Amino acid sequence: MQEKLIRTTAFAALLGASAAIGLSGTVLADSVKIGINVPQTGFAAADGKSALIGAQLAAEQANANGGVNGKDVELVVYDDQASPKSAVPIATKLVEQDEVKIAISGSYSGATRAAAGVFQEAGVPYISAFAVHPEITRSGDYVFRTSFVGEVQGRAGAKLIGESLGKKKVTLITLKNDFGKSLANGFKEAAEKFGIEIVSEYEYSIKDRQFGPIVAKVKSDAPDAIYASGYFFTAGPLVSQLRSGGIDVPVIGQEGYDSQKFIEIAGGASEGVIITTSLDRDSDSPEAKSFIAAFEEKAGYKADMVAASGHTAMKVAIAGLRKAGSDDPKAIRDAIAGLTLEASTGTISFNGLGEVRKDVQVQVVKDGNWHRHSIISDPDLLAPPEK
Amino acid sequence: MLAFELLLQGLVQGSIYALIAVGLTLVYGLLRILHVAHAGLFTLGGYIGVLITNATGSLALALLVAMPAMGLLGVAIYRTCYEPLLGRPPYVALIASIGLFIMMEELFRLIFGPYGISFTAPPLQNTVAVLGVNLKEAELATMIGGIVLIGGLALLTLRTRIGTASRATVTDPKMAEAFGVNIARIRDINFFVGSALAASAGVMVALLNNLVEPTMGSVPSYKALAIIVLGGLGDLRGTLIAALALGVIEAFGTIYLGNLLDRDAIAFAFLIAVLMLRPQGLFGKG
Repeated sequence: MQEKLIRTTAFAALLGASAAIGLSGTVLADSVKIGINVPQTGFAAADGKSALIGAQLAAEQANANGGVNGKDVELVVYDDQASPKSAVPIATKLVEQDEVKIAISGSYSGATRAAAGVFQEAGVPYISAFAVHPEITRSGDYVFRTSFVGEVQGRAGAKLIGESLGKKKVTLITLKNDFGKSLANGFKEAAEKFGIEIVSEYEYSIKDRQFGPIVAKVKSDAPDAIYASGYFFTAGPLVSQLRSGGIDVPVIGQEGYDSQKFIEIAGGASEGVIITTSLDRDSDSPEAKSFIAAFEEKAGYKADMVAASGHTAMKVAIAGLRKAGSDDPKAIRDAIAGLTLEASTGTISFNGLGEVRKDVQVQVVKDGNWHRHSIISDPDLLAPPEK
Repeated sequence: MLAFELLLQGLVQGSIYALIAVGLTLVYGLLRILHVAHAGLFTLGGYIGVLITNATGSLALALLVAMPAMGLLGVAIYRTCYEPLLGRPPYVALIASIGLFIMMEELFRLIFGPYGISFTAPPLQNTVAVLGVNLKEAELATMIGGIVLIGGLALLTLRTRIGTASRATVTDPKMAEAFGVNIARIRDINFFVGSALAASAGVMVALLNNLVEPTMGSVPSYKALAIIVLGGLGDLRGTLIAALALGVIEAFGTIYLGNLLDRDAIAFAFLIAVLMLRPQGLFGKG
């Protein structure tokens, strides 16, 4: 008897709960949905987490400021595991089932590129937060990107090493994926212009954490500087092993290093490492300052490039919706194409291909934190591809 | 000089491979099961090593906890996952093992977070000169630790009663049982020892990279399979030699073949080459 009573009560409680959920569902129906595909499991889950929190933060900030055209912004989140295989059904689901009018990618190049085709086909604007592959925006005029393509950042790296640091003999340590390869291509393209001689290049795979053989060889090459592409989880062990192998020339990285976790892994070896990236920790801009503070409060750890990019992409989506004043995808696309926006990653606008125009932030590790080294503001050198 | 340095780096990597592969080959020799989830114990060993070192400041204590704890977990995996499947075809246990490994990776991510964890004050990071080559203390410790642990194990299997019983069980389980060998106990001991060694490898890798990630075991999980095939399945000495050889070949390959072949592909190119010439493995008896 007692048991039956408990069961009935539990059932009633569940029923009540589901009714409540149903109710909140109808309230939310009067919201603007923005889709996001982001890796929440698998090898890229760490970056996915930062990107998602950044995007959520932008949505919360927008809702606190009156939402979009009188409605609240609601994120529709799917885990794509950074895999093209999952990205396509997710993009289809966002378009067909969730009927989003705009979506962003908080994922890597493979997944983003695969999803971009679906959104382009459906005529739904799609903004890539930090994927670097050049083909992404070539999917068509509904696809935008708020981060640099690899080549642009590679050229900035060459200017930094050849001009600002005045180092001419450089060894490249290249991550063997689209990110590392496109950075290396950009670097090589601009190397001659800045008088750089590339003395050697080594490649490694994203799964490598042991760089002993490369360190041994670089030591015998004796370069003036090392341009090494990678993510914090490869660059951390790499820099630490370069330093303990007795190599003390400057190491220059890129936005893949841009995480407090890099400093944690490499420890003392991270001091003096310089990177090209999108987030300036010592920025005077109120946008960047408020983002850095709000992110740390929400996430419980320090902001990184991926977080700032997720925030920026979501901000662009919201600004596009507001400016369009309707939920017509064509109007939203046109609004984004004509935007000039203050974001945590700087003042951004888009070229004809949907590629971002902004300055490159150069950061250096000092006393266990990222700080401003310099800013590269050279529109010719940093011109993104136009087609 | 460069060649010598590459050789040393190869031996460091090879020692790690050896520590992981020994457990696999013990299990294969005994049960004919490809124990993919073994690499999950390697990863968890790394996590425990970092967490205990960070909490207490003692790496020795971390090893003393991580190794027996993973040993026991290895036995538990055998008892709960493999033992009930022993009567089935080997691929059933293999599938169970792969499923278990995926589950472990995702559990690590959920429990310890996606970013991986690091030592707050990494031990053994000073450099020492070995015959004119700079090595990290951790690298030296890995090499010495690997050789001492596996050498010790080899001695035990040759010189002790349990070792003899274990070898007898590998050769002919039914006959060994008829002679009074407690086969269940031998299996437990093999899982315990193999898993404890994998845990030591996990702690060593944590020291070398100052990073333990949920997916740390994914490369070793399949590369160790290549190594035990090369070594002649179930052969301890062959496994050790194959592991060290692969480490050295990879070290040279990274520099001289790096633009042609991925480092992880070298193991399999080597495997294919060996299987074409010696299908029984490098040291397997034809």
